[in-house]
Amino acid sequence: MDNRIKETFDMIKAEEDLKAETGKFVQEKLRRHKRAGIAGKKLIPAMICMLFIILGGGSWLYFTPTAAVSIDINPSIELDINRFDRVISVNGYNDEGQVLAKELDIRFDNYEDAIEKILNDDGIAQLMEQDEIMSISVAGPDGKQCDRIYSHIESCTRGHKNTRCYSAGADYAEQAHEMGLSCGRYRAYLQLKELGSDITPDEINNMTMREIETLISSMSGNEKNKDAEQDGQSEKGHHGHGGGNQHE
Amino acid sequence: MRTEEEVNRAIEMYADTIKRICMIHLKNYADTEDVFQAVFLKYATNAVCFENEQHEKAWFIRVAINACRDVLRSFFRKRTVSLESIMEMPDQIPPDNRDVLEAVISLPEKYRNVVYLHYYEGYTAPEISRMLGKNVNTIYTHLTRSKKILREKLGEENG
Repeated sequence: MDNRIKETFDMIKAEEDLKAETGKFVQEKLRRHKRAGIAGKKLIPAMICMLFIILGGGSWLYFTPTAAVSIDINPSIELDINRFDRVISVNGYNDEGQVLAKELDIRFDNYEDAIEKILNDDGIAQLMEQDEIMSISVAGPDGKQCDRIYSHIESCTRGHKNTRCYSAGADYAEQAHEMGLSCGRYRAYLQLKELGSDITPDEINNMTMREIETLISSMSGNEKNKDAEQDGQSEKGHHGHGGGNQHE
Repeated sequence: MRTEEEVNRAIEMYADTIKRICMIHLKNYADTEDVFQAVFLKYATNAVCFENEQHEKAWFIRVAINACRDVLRSFFRKRTVSLESIMEMPDQIPPDNRDVLEAVISLPEKYRNVVYLHYYEGYTAPEISRMLGKNVNTIYTHLTRSKKILREKLGEENG
């Protein structure tokens, strides 16, 4: 039986037409495959360029600050916020600020979470217990975003004693940074200059907000600020410099 | 991706083997064409390196058997090909050998591969078990049962 089976299968041969047609089919498929591969390879540089454009554009959108939130007590720090409400950098504007900026783990956090972390920071809470003043300023080119951030900060700090909130216009942050000051200290610097002080940005940078406010009060002879600190109440008003609005 | 020469060499070497596998599984020429195209296209686009000729042949046999199964399982085929239609036997096969072929084709599907691989290709049961991914004892059982059926059909006393 074994031989009969072997003999029978030996008689089965693939037809020449079948072999030829199969060869033709496979070669055609291979040629198409190669053509598709070549076309694909030609597109690779264009796709890489496109990828770089997309990545570059995305990075630019993400890493361009559209608002700055400066928090000044002494330390003095400033958060750069992008259009997606994320903190993209934390900068310290004096020695204490630089230490605090390093300690805070808020980069890429939503600004709401970042503000909450800062307000709940042990070091800051300790300073506030020592009757220091916290000045929070919001400035940036995106007015709507600044208003939104300002409203949030104002509601967060409503119950906090000795906290002042300000918002300012598009150029305000830029002018402050040119002088090496945070927005909050720049506001105070302008106020003192208006009152005839010859104080320098460096001197302002090394003072606590409490000291700055005491100096402003003494120079203006206005006791209103003092009362406000003691009461811990909020009031709203317009500040005359750089288009800034003051909300204490 | 293999060259045109490699593909042509493979067709010359393995076309008959694949035709035999198609013969015991498929029932029409169109399906055989489909299997040929599927097997050799797979070879042409496959990057697998064969250790030797035996390894290459075993690969072709396994791929051809799987391709036949795929064709038989295909949804479209189930509805368009009559199960009664039998592939035309080559004219050059004498009546005696036709009987043998018909006896093999009439075996249950699971026995046909084993019969072909053992009696024609000369593979042992362990080799067939590796090739088909089945237990070696199952292969022995299939061989014994198929031998018994074939003897009955072909009217022989001994293998």
